[in-house]
Amino acid sequence: MPTVLLLDVSLSMVRPVQISENVEISRKYLAIQGINAFLDCLSVHSRLEFIALAAFSSLYEERCAFTRDYNAIKLELQKLEDHDKTAIESALHGVNQLVLGEWGNNSACQIVLITDGNAGIGPMSLSESFSTLNHRNVSNPFPLPFSFPAKLHVVCIAPPDDPNLMKSKPLYQRLVDMAGYNGSLLIPEGGLSEASVVTMFQKLAEEMYTSFRGTLKCGNLESRIMLSPAPIPYIKVTDFDSQTYVLSELIEVCGFIPISDVGSPMAISRHLILPTNNLGKENVPLSMEIDLTSDDDTTEDGKNPSFCVLLHGALKVENMSALVTVGDNWFGFIYSWADSKKKSNLMLTVLTPGSDAIPWLGDLCHLDSTDNLPPDQIGSFPVRPSEKRSYSQNGVVWIRQSGLQSDIQKILRHARKLPEKTQQFYKELNRLRKAAISLGFLDLLNGLAYIFEQECTQLPGSAHPDCALQLTHAAEVLRKTQNKDIKFVILPLHTNYNSS
Amino acid sequence: MAFISNSKIFPANHKTIFVLDHTPYFGISCESPIEFEFLKSRAPGFIPFNPISKSLWTCSVESAIEYCRIVWDLFPQGKLIRFFASDTVAHIMNTWSPSQQNLNHVMNGMSLMGVPPPIRQTQQSKDYSVVHGLRAAIEALGECTDLQFEKRKADVNAKLINKCRIICITSARDNDSMKRLQEIFNNCLHAHNKAALNSDTYLPIDHCHLVIIHTFPVNIESQVTQQPARNISSLLTTEVYPIKAPQISNKLSSLILQHYELASTTVTGIPMKEEQNASSSANYDVEIFHSKEAHTAILKGNTADSLAIRTVKEGLEYETVTLKWCTPRGCASSELQNCTSMYRITPVEVNSRPSLCLINFLLNGRSVMLEMPRKAGGKITSHLLASHGGEIFIHTLCTARSVLEDPPSISEGCGGRVTDYRITDFGLLIQQNRLLPIKSNYVGGLPSSIPKVKARLGRHTKYWPLTISSTLIFNLKNYIDPLPSIITKEKITDEEMVQCKQVIYNLIALESKHEPLHLANMGQRSKGQKREEQYKIMWNELETLLKNNCHSETHKMVYNCLIECHKFNSDESDKVELDQALRELDQMAKSDSDVRASVIRATTDSPMSPPPLASIASPMARNNQNRAGGIYATKRSLYDIFMAQDKSKTRLDFAGRTGDNVAKLYPNLKIENDRGPREMETE
Repeated sequence: MPTVLLLDVSLSMVRPVQISENVEISRKYLAIQGINAFLDCLSVHSRLEFIALAAFSSLYEERCAFTRDYNAIKLELQKLEDHDKTAIESALHGVNQLVLGEWGNNSACQIVLITDGNAGIGPMSLSESFSTLNHRNVSNPFPLPFSFPAKLHVVCIAPPDDPNLMKSKPLYQRLVDMAGYNGSLLIPEGGLSEASVVTMFQKLAEEMYTSFRGTLKCGNLESRIMLSPAPIPYIKVTDFDSQTYVLSELIEVCGFIPISDVGSPMAISRHLILPTNNLGKENVPLSMEIDLTSDDDTTEDGKNPSFCVLLHGALKVENMSALVTVGDNWFGFIYSWADSKKKSNLMLTVLTPGSDAIPWLGDLCHLDSTDNLPPDQIGSFPVRPSEKRSYSQNGVVWIRQSGLQSDIQKILRHARKLPEKTQQFYKELNRLRKAAISLGFLDLLNGLAYIFEQECTQLPGSAHPDCALQLTHAAEVLRKTQNKDIKFVILPLHTNYNSS
Repeated sequence: MAFISNSKIFPANHKTIFVLDHTPYFGISCESPIEFEFLKSRAPGFIPFNPISKSLWTCSVESAIEYCRIVWDLFPQGKLIRFFASDTVAHIMNTWSPSQQNLNHVMNGMSLMGVPPPIRQTQQSKDYSVVHGLRAAIEALGECTDLQFEKRKADVNAKLINKCRIICITSARDNDSMKRLQEIFNNCLHAHNKAALNSDTYLPIDHCHLVIIHTFPVNIESQVTQQPARNISSLLTTEVYPIKAPQISNKLSSLILQHYELASTTVTGIPMKEEQNASSSANYDVEIFHSKEAHTAILKGNTADSLAIRTVKEGLEYETVTLKWCTPRGCASSELQNCTSMYRITPVEVNSRPSLCLINFLLNGRSVMLEMPRKAGGKITSHLLASHGGEIFIHTLCTARSVLEDPPSISEGCGGRVTDYRITDFGLLIQQNRLLPIKSNYVGGLPSSIPKVKARLGRHTKYWPLTISSTLIFNLKNYIDPLPSIITKEKITDEEMVQCKQVIYNLIALESKHEPLHLANMGQRSKGQKREEQYKIMWNELETLLKNNCHSETHKMVYNCLIECHKFNSDESDKVELDQALRELDQMAKSDSDVRASVIRATTDSPMSPPPLASIASPMARNNQNRAGGIYATKRSLYDIFMAQDKSKTRLDFAGRTGDNVAKLYPNLKIENDRGPREMETE
């Protein structure tokens, strides 16, 4: 999960802290020490995480773009100057833009706001921001919640009993809550010192980068796995409901569906599935619970067969995907995914919670294998909705004049080709008539009758005699007021020419 | 959750009512004649006829219907709209029931009601007013919809905020009468809520959004002025728009975007054959509506880029995002795109030729990529239009950097260096466990089939070695097929049982003829294999397979057949208890640290660990050290240890082979019937 370090560089950060009798250091120095410790933790445990550094006062400045080169950030920290005052709102706007520009609105990110427990004063202060919260409109929205899934951690470089901090604490907490996803508010334990700050940052790093470990199961075959990036809880909001879903540790295969049938459904997140062997239990059958973990070191991971690798190979060859359950009434797909390079991987796409996540696959709870069902109950993909949408219904829309004009022209085109087009002529005529009656557009019927009569007088000599007969007949029926019933259907006139 | 507002969970657009003025005034012409240019050019003798104009009624009905068309195309469920017409009474066209939430139902209702009554029959005594409709609408808004009823039933005390919207198309004399109308409405609303307090059937209305469209013919000046949204009371927000009758639809188009949080995309540069000149093609634009969310990614990204694609169309009030048609290459559906969102779309002009052209292109199964130009140069594929089952969706593609940048390949991780996975066999298992939908008319009341399909996969993998080198029988397909595919079925027929037994008989016959078993997958490499050993392993593995697949009595009969036909080592000493094996293992481990490592391997294949191929692999490995799959080649497995122990005990040769005696076959038939020869279970 990419992380933004958002460091307060206002003047209040340079306030000195008395460490011992003759030693004074600034809060900014402590913050930098803390961040260094944080980065050191990452370089040991999570080297692939992207980190960005931004500094703010009343201005916001991006200092380091997202990078895996943590030393670059450490160097940048040394170059920070001191500026005026703390303005958190504009800084959060900046972060919003920074993340959206880089990762879009779908990747979860973490934001670590490092400040001194002073939420600013006057305009642009946090309390000012909150007091105007109800008067926001589209042009100046409050930056929280972020436009992407985000955890906000507010880290205060302040002693726990700092009077400013006491005042700001509820404001910070409100920020964390507004961001959602269980962020946190951190204050160094046991007073302000280099050690307490470093410990706090180390703890934060540990907490932020807990990896997801679980089991991928397919019948009796299974594999311990890790998901990268680690999934975060998903909040699904529907009309009259809002629920939080947490990914289960057991990901279980239900069956298989061709990739081409799956289409490209909306994914709330995508994760690499990495087989792990850390517990030494890779593929150990459940019935034989022998604890052999101590000998783990003697085995070479790569040479130990893993179900994940088998699954990946077979899915790739068959061009199939595996439908899995990732929670209660929550599904995902596992398939072989290749980066632009040749490296191929096992990928988990997590769908929106609910068995109705993909309309064209129908209810995912009602998928079954063919031999579990009588043949007449087996459907096929894609599942069609019971009702057609307007664009496949040949409906009537006359809002723009061209719609009505082309409908009339179509009827006249058929009229000129009577009697061959008798069926089409009356079909179109009845369609137009029905619509006119529904819309209360009765003038149109009289107008059309008039057009038909005119058309009769204009017929070329080569025209079929049936043409004039049908047009006259149609005009007559259109004029009759008793035929304003929607169920009435204009039928062709029986003539010598079409009675056969 | 604090950061999700009530307006999202309890949206006003769940319930909408159109109240259409059906008073005699609405029968008048909107004075905007339809042009029939195409008739004029026909012939000189054509006598022009009186111009035809829609009535105010026709204009309001068709605009309201168009609003519904868009809503129901985009939200097939859950966004309910009702139609009320008002003259001397309220006419109700449909209910909240989903079966009446469709255009056909509403259109039929409209035609039954007919045009507004003619003006000349109007008598002063007759009380024509839109208020009847508004009153009835308030009552209807107090009715529970199916969804609200469910929520109420699920939890009586749950907070259920009943928000709703009324769109009233009427005509008022002046601002004063418009104001009175709003006041009357406000009073009715409060009266309803008072009554609803003591009612079980009616819900109070927590908030109502009243949109009044004041309409009039094009040749008249409006005496009513526009009134932006304002709160009349805590329950009511109203807004008033004076709109010329032919323009109602345009106004509703911009309102619908706010009401349902929609956005407009204009697909530009669609190549289309000219109607007149089929050999050339011109480029057309088609405008579509869809959820606003589909644009979030591109609009919130780079500000300069997003400004460049946003425009306001002439004569309209809303912005549209212009994206370029990208002629599809190949079939985009053959791979899973990284889609961050997908929403249904509907064309704004459903019957225009360019719209139809795009729609049919998509409905025929092809998909279209949409491109967004970038200020910095180049362009980016941002969306995908595709139809699925007759519905068209816009998919937002991930345009941002991926956090999965430069991931390690699966071959670099656990199990990545094993090269003899049974890929083909697992492919077969995948095909056998393909999922298909149950036809919708059979679904009603069915329990979820997920546990059933999971159980099925469980049955198919009772005994499933992962690699070729850890199994023998699955490499002997020409001998044992179709037994493996039959034995994993839930039920097997008598005929299939006979087929399975035949496989066993054939193997017995082969063994007695001293025929070596030819491994299908391994070709010549099995040459070094000793025949007797091969058979022994084969029998033991077959026994494991069958024992693990005793799903029914018929399955058991196959298993019993094997036990009856083949003599397993039945001596007392052969029944090695697992704990004993482990004890001995421990002793051995002291002298040979490799052994325990191999024990892990021996137990890493699948449940009911198979007897590995070690004893046949060893000679192979000796012949060919390069064989990558031979992971058991040099190390000893649990099975080796069992076997080693086995050999230490002297065992009698088959009586028939020792001398000229006639041996009694299956001497231990009875006692073997109900237990396996190798009791390996730990329980």
